[in-house]
Parts: sequence; C-alpha cells; structure tokens
Amino acid sequence: MSGLPMYPSEKPENPDLKDSFAGRLLGTYSSLFCAGCGYGIIGHIYTRVFEAEKLDPLLYPLVIGIGCYSQIMTLAHADSQKILTLHGRAPAIATGMKMANPKMKPIIFSGDGDCLGIGGNHFIHLCRRNLDCVIFIFNNSVYGMTGGQGAPTTLYGAKSTTTPYTMIENRSDGMKLALAAGASYVARTTVAHPRTLMKYFKKAISHKGTSVIEIITPCVTYFGRKNLDSLGAEYLGIEGKKMDTGGKMVHWIKRNVVRLNQAKFMTEEELFNKYIIGEFRYEPNKPEYSEEYAKIQKFAMGNGGK
Amino acid sequence: MSNQDGKRFLPEGRHLMMGNEAMSEGAIAAGLTFFGGYPITPSTEVIEHLAKRLPEVGGVCMQMEDELASINSVMGASLVGAKAMTATSGPGLSLMVETISMAANLEIPFVFCDVQRSGPGTGSVTDPHHNDLGLVRFSGNGEFEVIAIAPMNCQELFDLTITAFNFAETYRCPVFILSDAYLGHLHEVVEIPPKEEILKKVIKREVPENITRQVFSYLDKKTGEYVIPKPPIMGTNYVPMFFFHTHHGPDGMVSPGGLKFVQTLVDKIKTNKDKICITEKYKLDDAEIVIIAYGLPVRVSYRAVDIARQEGIKVGIFRLVTVWPFPDEQVKEVVKNAKAIIIPELNYTGIIAEQVERVTPLDTPILKVPKVAVFHHPDEILKAIREVSK
Repeated sequence: MSGLPMYPSEKPENPDLKDSFAGRLLGTYSSLFCAGCGYGIIGHIYTRVFEAEKLDPLLYPLVIGIGCYSQIMTLAHADSQKILTLHGRAPAIATGMKMANPKMKPIIFSGDGDCLGIGGNHFIHLCRRNLDCVIFIFNNSVYGMTGGQGAPTTLYGAKSTTTPYTMIENRSDGMKLALAAGASYVARTTVAHPRTLMKYFKKAISHKGTSVIEIITPCVTYFGRKNLDSLGAEYLGIEGKKMDTGGKMVHWIKRNVVRLNQAKFMTEEELFNKYIIGEFRYEPNKPEYSEEYAKIQKFAMGNGGK
Repeated sequence: MSNQDGKRFLPEGRHLMMGNEAMSEGAIAAGLTFFGGYPITPSTEVIEHLAKRLPEVGGVCMQMEDELASINSVMGASLVGAKAMTATSGPGLSLMVETISMAANLEIPFVFCDVQRSGPGTGSVTDPHHNDLGLVRFSGNGEFEVIAIAPMNCQELFDLTITAFNFAETYRCPVFILSDAYLGHLHEVVEIPPKEEILKKVIKREVPENITRQVFSYLDKKTGEYVIPKPPIMGTNYVPMFFFHTHHGPDGMVSPGGLKFVQTLVDKIKTNKDKICITEKYKLDDAEIVIIAYGLPVRVSYRAVDIARQEGIKVGIFRLVTVWPFPDEQVKEVVKNAKAIIIPELNYTGIIAEQVERVTPLDTPILKVPKVAVFHHPDEILKAIREVSK
C-alpha cells in the first residue's frame, strides 16, 4: 500500500485493498465518506464476502440507489458490475434485470429514504413477489447526501435540518414492512456487529427469495452532532450528551439495540425508539417469483398455452 | 433468455386485429422479450395481449405496481440484454419521464408505446388527442433527443413497431410509438409478412465480436461522425467500468465535459436525420396547397384531397411518419413553393404546426385545423382547402 501522508504508516494493511474498485484503479485506499460513517464497513464487508464466496461478477450485479452510499463504489469489489440507478427505483430495476435474466441475483444497495421513502412502493412489491435478490437498507435515520433532512426512519423527538424543533412523525419500520409484504428472509443488524452482518449476507446469498437486510449505521455529521445520546432511552429520564464522534455514535447504536429474543419480554414503552436486531423471518421454501414464472413459460411454450 | 421462434411469428397472411394487438405482435416479431406495464385505458389491451403471448415465446410480461416501476423494470431488462418495451397513456407518461431521461443519459434502448388520450390531467379516457408530442419530445429533465413515430393504421402499427425497435437498437435512445385511443381500438386487417422477411429486417441484440470498454456514443475525430456502439449488456463482459449518471465519456468514467456530452446525446440523432426521418408524399408533385399531417388526420385528409382534386384544386399531402426529430430539410423543400399550408392536427395548440411555422417562408399562410377528442370529418379539411384556394 502506497502510504499517503494522511494515513499513519502503522495502520494495518487493508486486506480488501487489491479487490476494491479504488484499490485496483489507484492502488490506494479511498473512501469518500465522512469521518465516523458506517458505509466504509459495509463496503468492505461486501467486498470481503464477494471475494470469500467467490461470487461470479456476471451473475451478481450491484444495483445502487441514490444516497451517500452511492459513493460506495470506490470500496465495492472491482469485478462486480455496478449500476447507479434512480432515487428509490433500484428494486424496480432489479426486478427487470432478474426477470430478463433469471440466472442473475441482483444485490441492491438502498438507503432508508430511498427504500422506505420515495421507493416504498417498489420495496413493498419486491417483497410481495418474493423475487430472488438481496436488498440492503442502510438506515442512518437522516437524508445524509442532501444535508441531514428528516427521513421516514428518523426517531421520534430527534432533530434534523427539516425538523429543527423535533421530529413529530412516527418512524417507519422497514422490518415490519418487509414482514407484512412477504419477504422470505428478513434480518436487521448494525455496523457495530460486522461479523453478524457478514453471516447474514452469506445466508442471503444462498437463500432463494427476497432477502431484506437492514443495517443501522451512524451518521455523525448530520445526525450525531444534532442529537443527544439519550434518544431511545427517554424512559430513563437521563440527560444526554451530543454524539459528535463516530465512537460515541457506535456506542449509542450498541446501547440502543435490543435483541429479538430480549424484545419479547420488553414493554412497548421500553422499546420506543429502540432498534430490534436479529433474524425476523427465514422461509427457504416460499415460492420464488422467477421460478414460478418459468413454470408458466414452460406451460405456455408447450401445448398448454393454446 | 431468447425469444423462441416457435410461436414468435403469426402465420403469414391476413389477420383481423385490434390496433393495440397489432402493435404487440409487431413487438414480438421484432424480438420483444420483456414487457413491464401498468393498466391504463386506452393501452390496456397491450398488456392483456402480451400477458398471454409473451410466455409463449419465452418472454416475460410483468404487471408492475405503478408506471414508475414498469418503466424502471423495462430499463433493467434492457440493461441485461432483453428487448424491452412498455405501453401507457398520457398520465402514465408523465410519471415515466424521470426514467426516460436517465435512459437517454445511459443510452439504454427501449421502445415506448404511447396510446394517447384526451387530457389534460385524467381527461377523457377513450378519446383520441395528439397532445403528448410536446411531452414526448422534451420528456425528462436534461437535454437529449428522442425519436417518435406516428403510425396511422393497424398495418403500420405492426410494421413501424419493428422499425421502432431497430431505431432503438441503432441509435440507443428512447423511441416512442405515438398511437391514440381510436387507433389503439381500431380493428383492421393486418397483412403479416413471411417469417424470413421479418427476420431480415430485425436488428438483433448481441454482444459485439470485439469487446471494448467504449460502450457509449462518442465523436470520432477522424471521420467527424458519431460512433454509436451496440448497447452494453450486464451479465456479459461488454459493460462500461461503471454505469454513472454524470457527464460520462465513452467508457462510462472519463468525462469529455458537459457540453460535449450533451452534444453527443443530441447530435447522434440529429446527424442521422436522413435515416431516421421517414416521410410520405401523396399527390404532391404539382400541389399548390400542402397538407402537413401525421397519424389519423392523414387518413381523413386522403379523402378531402381526392374530392378537392375533382374540383380542380391542386392539393397534396406531406405525411410525417417520423414526427420527431422534425424533418426540417424535407419540410422546407415542400413548403418552398406552396401557396398555402393546411395543418390538420388532433390538438388545439398545434405542436407540429409550430415546427412547420419555423421552417416556412413568412409570407406563406398557414391554416390550422384543430380538433380535440374526436377525429376530423373530411368536410372540415375540405372546407379549409376551399378557403385557402380562393
């Protein structure tokens, strides 16, 4: 690794450097994200799993929505075919790709605004069809790229540039939406649990059907600096501190998540503004859309159609 | 996925078909393998017909959750090498323009059937009204050119759909078929040509022999002409480094600058106008009065011209088959010596009349014959002919 002055030389060797897009192009580590952002972790995990699982780049296209994470291409595996799509439309584009070439398994990167805001309808119907693909929802609870506006996932009582007083809307829960819509693999984790994330990702790749993985990720620049770490722990009545570094935000995320098996024993009030993590559903035998459609094609192409 | 030849072609000969069905059959003959749509009157028969027909040829017909999803799924399918199309009407088109703009940027080809209905807004759903051309030619944000073709009968809906697919493959831009509520629901006899003849015409989607990273259009400085490579196919090695939306160069990354990028998108169509612009002439050789029309009003004008000729009025028709890009040079040639021009258009503002005015000498009178939500009676055009011939 050619050492740029901004990175200390004692920094450990980046194991994914030779595989990442920027690493292969420029020969150096390159990230376009703010300090403390979680997308770097996600990008590296994607690259690492892509390399470890020896995924065929021709069959696992990366469909990227619009958001901060659109810049993840510098970290993503150099071989994977990537397309930057429109805001919120990534699930619809992936549907077209999968159906026109059923051998493919699109991997969709989308954010909370992308997937639960503008593209909410596409997301619901992707889950409803149980189309074979992996969809990641990166939930940092703000619109980061445009400068920290309130998102559908912004926690109640949080501050953002469009909710300068406080957020008074109820947040939307991507997991509940995916479960109701009928996705066959639904899981949520955080960037503070990278090994779990890797495990879920590997499981999603081998799963036949829609896999929805929500990742809670910190946005220090626009969420952390404006909000106190007492968010999600209102019932304790403690005074919070500003979350102005990545460490503080990761610490807050770790404290603010509840495991699925613990959540069963907690009251509604205690779970308010908390993130429940874990595997919500895993149904490997649910009918998958492209396979079902292939049956129709076979029937119609024989004598059944006429 | 390949379009299976077994049931792809209808038996050669005469078939009674609805306009929307003829268009669908034309698309299947051209190699359509993916259709993403959302029901909207008057285009609904297209998705209904294709839902039955496409699985028979190994294709996919999907009813998506809305127009936004249908056009995006079409773009996704086209990205992985399927010939794809969608069909909608005015209100659906307004929702789809976002993706059309992006497809123009990334030069993803697809065909778009707009069965126009009377607007604005929801309007009147079963009445014809050529009011979408303004939206079609400026569809989406940003600067780019599109191709719009206006058939006038069911036979042409079949034939010109194949042409539209060929244009999309060759010029890599959104191609529109401008049908309307009457034409879509019209039942007429369609002569299906033999299979070999159709196959000879169709341009296939395939990976070129010499794979390079130069997958987007660029100006060849040596010849001064625009090179339009075959569309990239995801899932093969023929892809750019990255499908990126900013001003991109031929490899998808290195930008030649904003101006050159937009120039490429616009001029790759404009410099090929002679191949794209299809026009037809009817009794125009000695005509003093010229009728310029496209779509259904042309058929009405034939009758009016025949009656006027019997009365000794020298009148002819100049028909625009390709409505956009507007054939400036050809129209200039036609209107040069005309005494008067009549433009019967199925709208009030005169979207094409505006273009004709642009290329007509200032002293030549132009008479618009507007009509909305119902097609012209030949008498109305005849009245206009008599008026200007006085």
